[in-house]
Amino acid sequence: MSRFLFVVPPLTGHVNPTASVGGELLARGHDVAWVGHPGTLTPLLPDGAVIFPAIDDRLEAEIREKRERWLSLRGMAVLKFFWEEFLIPLGHAMVPGVTDAVRVFAPDVVVADQQALAGPVVARSAGLPWVTSASTSAELVNPLATMPKVDAWVRGLLHGFAGGDVRFSDRLVLLYSSKALVGREFGEEVAFVGPALSHRVERVAFPWERLTGRRRVLVSLGTLNGPAGERFFGQVLEAVADLDLQVIVVAPERPAPDNVLMLPSVPQLALMPHLDAVVTHGGHNTVCEALAHGLPLVVAPIRDDQPTVAGQVVAAGAGVRLTYSRAKAADIRSAVLSVLDEPEYAAAAGVVRDSFLAAGGAAAAADRLEKVVAG
Amino acid sequence: MDEVLQQVAKLITEVVGPDFLLGVEITRDTTFSDDLGLESIEFVALADKLNAHYGVDLVAFLADMDIDEIMAMSVGRLVDHITARV
Repeated sequence: MSRFLFVVPPLTGHVNPTASVGGELLARGHDVAWVGHPGTLTPLLPDGAVIFPAIDDRLEAEIREKRERWLSLRGMAVLKFFWEEFLIPLGHAMVPGVTDAVRVFAPDVVVADQQALAGPVVARSAGLPWVTSASTSAELVNPLATMPKVDAWVRGLLHGFAGGDVRFSDRLVLLYSSKALVGREFGEEVAFVGPALSHRVERVAFPWERLTGRRRVLVSLGTLNGPAGERFFGQVLEAVADLDLQVIVVAPERPAPDNVLMLPSVPQLALMPHLDAVVTHGGHNTVCEALAHGLPLVVAPIRDDQPTVAGQVVAAGAGVRLTYSRAKAADIRSAVLSVLDEPEYAAAAGVVRDSFLAAGGAAAAADRLEKVVAG
Repeated sequence: MDEVLQQVAKLITEVVGPDFLLGVEITRDTTFSDDLGLESIEFVALADKLNAHYGVDLVAFLADMDIDEIMAMSVGRLVDHITARV
């Protein structure tokens, strides 16, 4: 039996795939631990999971506050803030906690999320093999390829912190997607394992008795921020008000049409089998969870990897893309009706679902991790 | 108003949609990031229009810039680039 340590930032979307892969490793009898922010990790991990602290509550609150400011930025300022104010400082802040965790837990392999830069740094100085958990495929595609000076600037920051580009391991990169969705291949070290959904823990309750017999659409837009978020959200509610659908919206309570069920949080994975389509800003996890259930998508990307992910959905034929800051109720209504009524979208989503099933999910990821230990 | 500026403003309006520019006059000082909030897909659409109209490669123009220059990129700077090329 082997010992695996997951290093993760305090972000749900980055913890979720490790919860699944870690759960699979535990089921196989391995020893598994996580290091990050305990308050974020505990609700997402199995009962009794071993958790080491690398981020205290004060730092986590600071990160959340920074994120609020970051969400109000536009264009290239988003990228600058992300690297200078978030990723590099987070890397520095996590080094002491990750160092302690490595000393106490003595892992055979360190599995670092691509946004937990402390993982590779600590693993290297401890002489341990490290691999990458890539919670989105967008960074591998390198959207900065057409802007060499910006790309060099990112690499410069990485060299300053870690002495090299530690975003991706040259030993193994677990990519929770498939070739069918990403649309291209990478080096041999990149393992397309598909979304890791087994062993996931969802502790949020859901009022199942309130589901009606109508077709159902989930609207999941992440944190709503600023006037652009409010505008889009208002247009969504207007768009669906007259449709013969039940619409489940993840958002704080507010006045809504009768056919809208609004909830501050939902057990998204458990809800998927009850849905007919998903409207999202294009977070990698939500998109892949929907596609894993063969659901067509309406994607209105806002920032980060979302435009890349939205492009993948459209290229796969599994959904329609909207312009987040400008789409109007009529555009949203027509997009939702298209993906529901035109069977090509669900058929294309089904093709992606089959590619995910073939990729193997958490079991395939665990196989690859066991091979790293075997050498 | 400068002829190129007028044309670039027209192309931007076509990409973004006139509704979203109500009350916003596109001048030389208008920035793509902060003022227009151009989304990546709109940026691609604008690049296509500029290429069709002037034979100017917007992606190549930006390839020479560092992150601060891209953040500060204004309509005026694009107009000057087109004027120098055409």
